[in-house]
Amino acid sequence: MEIVEVVRAGGKPFKRAYVSIFLWFTGRAIQAAAKVDEQVRREFNSLPDDFTFSLGVLPDGPWMVIGREKGQVKYLGGDPEGRHLHVRLAMKNIETAFLILSFRESTALATARNRLITEGEVPQALAMIRVMDIVEVYLLPKMIARLAVKRYPSWTPGRKFFGRIGIYSRAMLGI
Amino acid sequence: MNSDSCFTFTCPVKTNSGNIALENLPVELSGLNAGKPLVVTNIAKVGRKAVRTLTGAFGDSGMSLGVFDSLGDKVDPALIEQLRTTFIEEEYDSIIALGGGTIVDSAKILNLTVSLKITDVRNLSAQTPVNRNLLPLVVVPTADATGLETAQFARLNGAVLSSEYLAPVLVVIDPRLTRGKDVKTIYATGLAALGRALESHIIAKENPFRQAYSFAAIRFIRDNLPAAVRNPDDKKTTLAVINAAVMSGCAFSGTEARPLHKLGQVFQEMLKIHPGIIMGMCLPHILDDYLHHDGNGLASLLHPLTGDEEFAQTPEVQRAGAAVSVLHRFMADLHSAPGKDVPQTLREAGVPPYAIEDIFEVLDVDPNGVYLRSVVERIRDKTPMAEKKG
Amino acid sequence: MVLPDYYEFCCRVKIVAGHDALEQIPGLLSEKGAKKPLIITDKGVAGAGLIDVVSRVLQDRLAGILIADNVPPDSDLRIVHQLAQFYRDNGCDAIIAVGGGSVMDTAKGVNIVVSENASDLMAFSGAGALKRPLKPLIAIPTTAGTGSEVTQVAVIKDHEKHLKMAFLSYFLLPDVSILDPRMTMTMPPFITAMTGMDALSHATEAYYCLQKNPLSDAHALSAVSMIYQHLPMVVQNPSDLNGRLAMSIGACLAGIAFSNSMTGIVHNLGHASGSVCGVPHGLAMAILLPYGLEYNMHKCEDIIARLLLPMAGETDYLNTPKEQKAQKVVSLIRQMNEDLHILTNGRHARCFREVKDREGKPMVPRETLPEIAGAALLDGASMYNPEDTDYTDNLMVLEAAWEGCPLDLSKVKKG
Repeated sequence: MEIVEVVRAGGKPFKRAYVSIFLWFTGRAIQAAAKVDEQVRREFNSLPDDFTFSLGVLPDGPWMVIGREKGQVKYLGGDPEGRHLHVRLAMKNIETAFLILSFRESTALATARNRLITEGEVPQALAMIRVMDIVEVYLLPKMIARLAVKRYPSWTPGRKFFGRIGIYSRAMLGI
Repeated sequence: MNSDSCFTFTCPVKTNSGNIALENLPVELSGLNAGKPLVVTNIAKVGRKAVRTLTGAFGDSGMSLGVFDSLGDKVDPALIEQLRTTFIEEEYDSIIALGGGTIVDSAKILNLTVSLKITDVRNLSAQTPVNRNLLPLVVVPTADATGLETAQFARLNGAVLSSEYLAPVLVVIDPRLTRGKDVKTIYATGLAALGRALESHIIAKENPFRQAYSFAAIRFIRDNLPAAVRNPDDKKTTLAVINAAVMSGCAFSGTEARPLHKLGQVFQEMLKIHPGIIMGMCLPHILDDYLHHDGNGLASLLHPLTGDEEFAQTPEVQRAGAAVSVLHRFMADLHSAPGKDVPQTLREAGVPPYAIEDIFEVLDVDPNGVYLRSVVERIRDKTPMAEKKG
Repeated sequence: MVLPDYYEFCCRVKIVAGHDALEQIPGLLSEKGAKKPLIITDKGVAGAGLIDVVSRVLQDRLAGILIADNVPPDSDLRIVHQLAQFYRDNGCDAIIAVGGGSVMDTAKGVNIVVSENASDLMAFSGAGALKRPLKPLIAIPTTAGTGSEVTQVAVIKDHEKHLKMAFLSYFLLPDVSILDPRMTMTMPPFITAMTGMDALSHATEAYYCLQKNPLSDAHALSAVSMIYQHLPMVVQNPSDLNGRLAMSIGACLAGIAFSNSMTGIVHNLGHASGSVCGVPHGLAMAILLPYGLEYNMHKCEDIIARLLLPMAGETDYLNTPKEQKAQKVVSLIRQMNEDLHILTNGRHARCFREVKDREGKPMVPRETLPEIAGAALLDGASMYNPEDTDYTDNLMVLEAAWEGCPLDLSKVKKG
């Protein structure tokens, strides 16, 4: 019957680009934070030696992969294909990713609104969420970070200042 | 809990409501083992924009979907048979009904025919057994929902097929689609929800599972309908009204048909008037009658209709009366807002005087016909609510 | 009642409640086209004569019923596979689970294996692995507490590999839950008290946690009212059938509420104290509940205050000034624990220091609190708590709950 029109889902290139860049930068920032921040280092040390984590968007990306290699935390690019992932945090669709990554919804609220699908062991997933919260506090101005985390931490000005410089410069340079 | 026998409640519908709810559809469908939905709707009713919003929500999902946007005002067996053939030939695996009322009835009947391999839609009747899971049916209601979209029955030109399997598996309420085209639409939807929620709440005296839905529905209507009729374009309050409509359908399922619902249905089936319009007219009369006969269940309405403070302050014996007067005030306030936009008499609603006799004929067959007739007689002769209550 | 920016709600379980709810089972089975159910239960339930009650109701109207009563107190992967084999060997076509949390978990696990014709349950762990309805499952809870008759979760332990697997799917929801007071009537007062407080903690946490929504709220409020009113009555008078039915209904409503709204710090610390020290879950809930409310007070005072009416009733509600309503809720829950302590001759512990094992030895030595505080960081319930929690927060709450003194609200960190 001709009366049924077949519609193929289109793309959302602008939002995809934003999310890709954001994930790329966050991946590098996590790698940097593991070197700069004591608490982030401790969280990673509690995880398995070959720990691999991916954050991204259903059904087919973009993704970013973080992993431990020989004790070092490394950003492993944007392709989780073929890797064994310990934890995968998947945002249900590109609009959701855009909502969360433009800080209009905190990770906690997004979780409460079933916007994320967590795969893997809960303790490891929680450790990664704590890591991402810390990184967000470093990267974002307080006004925005307050929206992204449940409770804005009361760090010493030194930790925040030097940490922020360290993480930004390392993330830019990719070291 | 003094009931000697037992009671049951079931609500097969999952509710997803709010910001970018539609975009979750691909994930939801895949969780139901479905990947190729057929969207059915009536573009004349829901508008082109709504269809685009729905299909656009699948963006970046890589899925493709079928869209049939020419459903008519009533459930058309021949059309459904055609759709059934396409559905099977093109290997669709799920149905998304966009809209309310008969659109959803058509979708339910279509689901029945494709899932249970029924070829002759005209042979379907109230006696047709529906006793196993059907394919996933998702309802995406628009502002003109009747509340029965989530109910566990489907209407096929007079016959009512009833089974919990007929209910949609998921309802997605998205604020982009719930804004009313006009005052009348959201008013009618809200009052249909209120009417059914009130009747369910009274019946469900000792069924807290049902009352959870009716309580939330009544509270949402109380909190949001007055603002929604003043500004039918408001996302937040119309979203709440459609939420109430969806909940009222869940609460109402499995209860006996009550006078308000029955009257709304009769006018809808015979004259295509949104049941909420008629239910709004009948509501004050029917509640007054309840109060004079058996005020018992009415007392339980006071809490959802008011709030903690007013409920706690009202002594138990006065609660039934208080609930009725709160409702009268609520209706008067509702009518004072949109002025002439909302039909308050049968004439304004477009009921021609000669049609009343036909309505009576239908009502007379009902076991409760004498009473139903008396209610219609009262609303036929009445002056608009707003004038009476001033 | 607030409409959140986004919410999801789902409870597809058919609830059948009443004094003769069990009698409906044959009809419910035949609606599903099932003739030969496998009853899954544990020795405790069978020993209390509850299976006899169920069998008596069923035997006249069903050709054959099979009973497996070897579910251990902690769900076990080996038993799941064994029961699935038993189900297949006997050509069963439905499952009736009679018991508490572990029985429900086991039955859900068995149902996955027999419905998916799986050789290994492991393949279906996590969220989203199930895509279609399973075999008919009827749940008959024998405690009014866990709510697992209406939850979409099953936790199965692999004792050989020391793994705890979670299964999450709406398809795990039982088809039917039977709430019949005959099934809880023989529960001793001490167990009744703690399972009842477990249910109250579900309803309360569901009402203040981040995932709350209008439908979880409506279920939670109704649950709080039923549980708060009837719990002391049934502890005092275990054979009060009306009270027992009300408790079962209340616990079920609470289960629906929390499985849609999730739980917070009370469950977070409760799970941890269970895994570190073996504190019975319901008891940990009873002890921690007032502290959870206090800890979140600065974020949800208005919300907590709204629990006063369903708990205390109209008179107390009206007599409590607005600014004291939330605090009154906390003190009523503390008072409830005191009352249950007296009614159970001291067996219902009011604080961790009072929790004792069978030999009367303290189960939670003070020096284990840091370990519990650390273990709580591994538990997902913290995600849904309104206020953030870290190790020091956890320890502060645990220390107060150990002593049994109210939380010093000035010490709660506010971001």
